[in-house]
Amino acid sequence: MNEEVYAVALKNALVEIKNICPDVHQAFILMDNGTIVAGDEQAVEPIVERTINSLQSLTEKAGSVGGLDDLLIEGDKGKVYVSQVNGMYSVMALSKSADLPFLRTVTGIILPTILKVLNSIGSETPLPAPLKSTQIVTPPKFRPAPSKPTVKEEAVEETVKEHEEAEEIEAPEALTHLPFEQLIVDKFGGLMVRSDTVQLDLEILERWSSLFNGKEIHEVDIETFSGKTSRYKAKVISDKKFDGKGIIRIPEKTCETLELKRGELVRVKPVVPEE
Amino acid sequence: MPVKKKAQQVGTAEQVELAPQAEAKEHVADLRTVLDNIKAREGVIGYILRASTSAAVDIKDPSKIIDYAVLSASALESAESLSHAFELGKLNKVVVESKDLKILLLTIGEHRISVFMEKNVDHNAIYKEMT
Repeated sequence: MNEEVYAVALKNALVEIKNICPDVHQAFILMDNGTIVAGDEQAVEPIVERTINSLQSLTEKAGSVGGLDDLLIEGDKGKVYVSQVNGMYSVMALSKSADLPFLRTVTGIILPTILKVLNSIGSETPLPAPLKSTQIVTPPKFRPAPSKPTVKEEAVEETVKEHEEAEEIEAPEALTHLPFEQLIVDKFGGLMVRSDTVQLDLEILERWSSLFNGKEIHEVDIETFSGKTSRYKAKVISDKKFDGKGIIRIPEKTCETLELKRGELVRVKPVVPEE
Repeated sequence: MPVKKKAQQVGTAEQVELAPQAEAKEHVADLRTVLDNIKAREGVIGYILRASTSAAVDIKDPSKIIDYAVLSASALESAESLSHAFELGKLNKVVVESKDLKILLLTIGEHRISVFMEKNVDHNAIYKEMT
């Protein structure tokens, strides 16, 4: 079936939804990879792009709880309702007084029905092509290890912006199911302490190593409570009294950079050793 | 400060005491009392209460703490961005529904609150209790 027909049908569906629910000011439909499938005349491009960026980040994080189904944002002047339909996201800007249960019922019937009909008519066209080329590649969950471990202190804090810079790097399929440990932070300091190296239990490093056919783990990714992710060199805990306590020892300076305090939890993942 | 044994106390007592004013401390205590009551409700999984210098977490399954914390931070960030883009004005509440659970996010003063619950729990009732 023609892709344009698909887009036109969905656009008409949005128009009908707006007719039934006049509280809908703007509406558009996005694919889960960030491409726009259909939108009404009120869907302004900067808003759409911002929505894509915001949702992309959220859908990625929501994977840990089964994926994003619905998102409702209520402000003083209105609401935004995002709903997942057959792998797509309908985004609607609503007035403050909008009847959300009614809208949910309407969209929950109309959009899946239209999609089902379209799929049954043109089963050879599995999914609609994007109307606009505004695809934003999902940031990889793990950055591939650098050829040499050169973590510099100024590059320690990884922000969302840095995630965006790493967007074009495709994560290998095998990296998507890496093991991880939730460990308690312990600070340590000293004159000879390198801020790019953290210390972990030998047992954890050995367990990870065995998962990668005995390759040694030299680096780990640390994800903090506030969502910051950074990569560090990994060594075995030097002080034996900390062995087997589920602790990760992080240099004081690095803790400051990551805004970590002693006793906080972090998620630690091994970086796949290079061949 | 009394600490619930089962709570994952990420923000320690020491951190809470760093709050600049006694009034702020009382406010935090009030919020925690309300949140503890809410957590006792059927279907409520837990909460995260974050301020600029501290965080209190009480989640039934401790292995999910980081996942939930990262998700709620990301949800609030996305909601703030979308609220700005769509000119929604001051953000009142955000509700995120996944296949497994529902999260109510709101900001009270400098405190960012995330309440995690099963999907059948009435988040509006919880919101009213919080505000």
